[in-house]
Amino acid sequence: MSEGVMAVVKPEMKSYIWLQTADGSIQQVEEEVAMFCPMICREIIQTGMGTSKNFAISLPQRVNPAILGLILDYCRFHQVPGRSNKERKTYDEKFIRMDTKKLCELTSAADSLQLKPLVDLTSRALARIIEGKTPEEIRETFHLPDDLTEEEKLEPLRNITDDPRIRLLNRLYARKRKELKEREKLKNVEVEEERVDERSVEDLLTFINGGDGDSKGSRTNKNKKKNRRRKDLKSSSNDVYGDNNKDLDDLCPAFHDISVASPSKSSSFSPKLEFDDADNDDDLDPAMKEELDREVEDFARRLNSDWKERRQEILSLGQERRLVPMSMNGNVRLPDRKGVPLWHLYIDVCVCVSCRMFSSLFLFANFFTWFIVHVLPMKLLSVWTRDSDLLLELFVFRMSSSSFERIGKMLACGLLLQKLWRSWQYFYASAARREKDSWRREKQENQDDKMSKCAPFVSRLFVVAVACYFPATDVG
Amino acid sequence: MKQKLQEPPGINCKMKMNPDRISNLPDNIIEGILSHLPISDAVRTSLLSSKWRYKWATVPYLVFDDRFYLFSSRNKAAINSKIVSIVDRVLLLHLGPIQKFELSHREFLAVSDIDRWILHLSRSSIESIVLEICKGEAYRMPSCLFSCQSLTNLELRKCSLKPPSGFKGFRKLKKLDLQYVTFDQDVFENLISSCPDLERLYLRDIVGLSRIKVNVPKLQVFIFEGFIEDISFENTFNLAEVVFSYYENAKNTQSQALDNSSNLLKFFVNLSNIEMLRLNDYSLKYLAVGIGPHKLPQPCIKLHNLTMYINLNNFEESITSLSLLSSTPNLEEIEITVCPDEQAVDGIDTNFWQDGCWNCSFDKLRFVMITGISGAKPELDFMKFLISNSPVLERMEVTPASTSVRWELVTKLLSFRRASNRAEIIYMDP
Repeated sequence: MSEGVMAVVKPEMKSYIWLQTADGSIQQVEEEVAMFCPMICREIIQTGMGTSKNFAISLPQRVNPAILGLILDYCRFHQVPGRSNKERKTYDEKFIRMDTKKLCELTSAADSLQLKPLVDLTSRALARIIEGKTPEEIRETFHLPDDLTEEEKLEPLRNITDDPRIRLLNRLYARKRKELKEREKLKNVEVEEERVDERSVEDLLTFINGGDGDSKGSRTNKNKKKNRRRKDLKSSSNDVYGDNNKDLDDLCPAFHDISVASPSKSSSFSPKLEFDDADNDDDLDPAMKEELDREVEDFARRLNSDWKERRQEILSLGQERRLVPMSMNGNVRLPDRKGVPLWHLYIDVCVCVSCRMFSSLFLFANFFTWFIVHVLPMKLLSVWTRDSDLLLELFVFRMSSSSFERIGKMLACGLLLQKLWRSWQYFYASAARREKDSWRREKQENQDDKMSKCAPFVSRLFVVAVACYFPATDVG
Repeated sequence: MKQKLQEPPGINCKMKMNPDRISNLPDNIIEGILSHLPISDAVRTSLLSSKWRYKWATVPYLVFDDRFYLFSSRNKAAINSKIVSIVDRVLLLHLGPIQKFELSHREFLAVSDIDRWILHLSRSSIESIVLEICKGEAYRMPSCLFSCQSLTNLELRKCSLKPPSGFKGFRKLKKLDLQYVTFDQDVFENLISSCPDLERLYLRDIVGLSRIKVNVPKLQVFIFEGFIEDISFENTFNLAEVVFSYYENAKNTQSQALDNSSNLLKFFVNLSNIEMLRLNDYSLKYLAVGIGPHKLPQPCIKLHNLTMYINLNNFEESITSLSLLSSTPNLEEIEITVCPDEQAVDGIDTNFWQDGCWNCSFDKLRFVMITGISGAKPELDFMKFLISNSPVLERMEVTPASTSVRWELVTKLLSFRRASNRAEIIYMDP
């Protein structure tokens, strides 16, 4: 119907529909594209509007020009009949990549135009954004007001799925609410509150570590991250780690010193967690807190003592822990996932190298202690997969070398690589468990898959390379 | 993750600058968004703000599937009681009609609370019930299930159904999916025939039935997996898709010799409008029982997609498949899986497929896929038969059962005479 009028004007013989948005601006759009939209289609058929600029179809109020542009792009792509489903899906995926504010506007505009496929698409995208996030994160994403009272949040019917995280969250919210109220009363800036917290944490630290001046500085660095951000993550993981530590300690009392070295990787988080929670979560079992304090101190000392002391300690097997109270200086970056296993790795490498330098007798002793220090706890923890175990053993037996050095080196390298990968996996997995972002979980799962696939392979490769490279030096 | 600068509630100026976009969307959109979320996330939105407190409660879909809760303990009883308590609480807090209810958690053991839930659902005009019990005994469904008259989709696993005597059927039921369900013979027939709108019927591993007579006028899709003595269709002129997977059972070989009527005839007598047919597992063996006709009385002219599992060494099966193939002139795609011969070879005429008297011509056959080839002569003859009778064949994919017959197979494939000049014969690695 509009073709007659338009054909004169447009050389391509296309017909256009005129649309007017709520703010008065008028746009023209190809007819096929506009007809893809049911509301516009109906308007044209029923009222005959839209054929010229003066009779433009007025769109509902929720559609503004920018959003209208997006919607028309969508219609323009999808109204072409010859596209495959895969192409449409790919286009859709790219199309909805926009910020949440626009996504919401697009949803409401599509709904007012009754464009159901687009409504479904955007709803699903919004659902994906909401999924897996904590309420706080959702509130921040969508700028929702946090106007539920403390009692409402703590009402038991909230905790329908009985998620322990929600329970903890409720508790934390209650506390936060109290603090906010206090803050209102004082009319204070929040930063000061933060600093007060930090100082109390530092006090706690210095108390534990025997008053080292450096720790204060490092503590402020570490606690720059907001306590609150990690609160719920840490408190829940604390329970996990505390339990783990307790279990492991129960399991191998004889190797208590040594076994603590391995799970102390897991407790590496606990220092940071510990300090923040000491302030914030009063509900943690005080016995568990003491346990964690002990772990922290132990670990700190372990990391910072040099090799000789440590070897003595290990060789004596069961000395009590009250050695030089080492403080945690700034070069121990605990909450980082990479920090702890690398230190272990360095120490192991040093031992490897030192293997070469010492005499045969000493070599034997080193190898043996090496074996005890690393292999047995690992076996106890059953962190190894069976196939890499077997392969390493195969390598050991097939090597017709009389040199302990070679074996020891090879074993050590393989072992430490295994440890490295395992600890990496463990950290990443536990970190992902604590963090609620689902995308990060997915990424970690992907990484886990990749890692679990290539870890044995890489370690074997490394073992072979090392075994071939280092010349066999016969023991004298 | 509150920013430091976020205002405590009561100060509204900041809120106006960053308006809340999402809470003001229309209710139906918010319901749509929440219905795409797993139920735990949807319920958690009640913590967001005062507007969101009860938005989740009006979403009409309640899906408790495998992912709906992460159980930390391994204790079965604890998990079960937790599931029960969660479902109870959600049902209690829910507002408005429930359209879809699904409970299909793997660890769920049937308990008597199901009765209570079904009663609650029957009061709220439910449209779709999915109840999959994976562990434990079959659960006897309560009679209030049969009073859900607005039901359009019913999916049950490991239950037993016994409708009350006054049961008139589900008036609006469109899809019925039963797995491991226990029935009495007449109960089943009543149930099926009293659902006039039934369009999809899936029966898997039904217990307690010896024969099935499918008498559903509007039926479009029928899937059967399991063992049955007798199956026949009546009045099923809309039936477009049939998937028939017949499991072998040692007992059945004697009883079928009793009457000489052909199973093939009985099966196909009312299936003239069929469009897609899958005969999986031992279905062809079932159909081969009895003296089969040379050709079906009414050719299936609409059948364009056929999948078969066939043992080409078996004479009866070959004859049956031939009858079938000669009654389906408009086939467009065939997918054949060759089953290995389990018993001693029935004396098959080695030139069975080569005889020129089988004159069927597949005028529309474009795509053939054969898997499980082991290079035996009947198989090659069959392929030759197909190729030489398909003038418009475009593609034939052959996948052997193992790589050991590779070269001989390929050379023989190349030597086939083709009726179509566009045919590609493609050898796929197993």
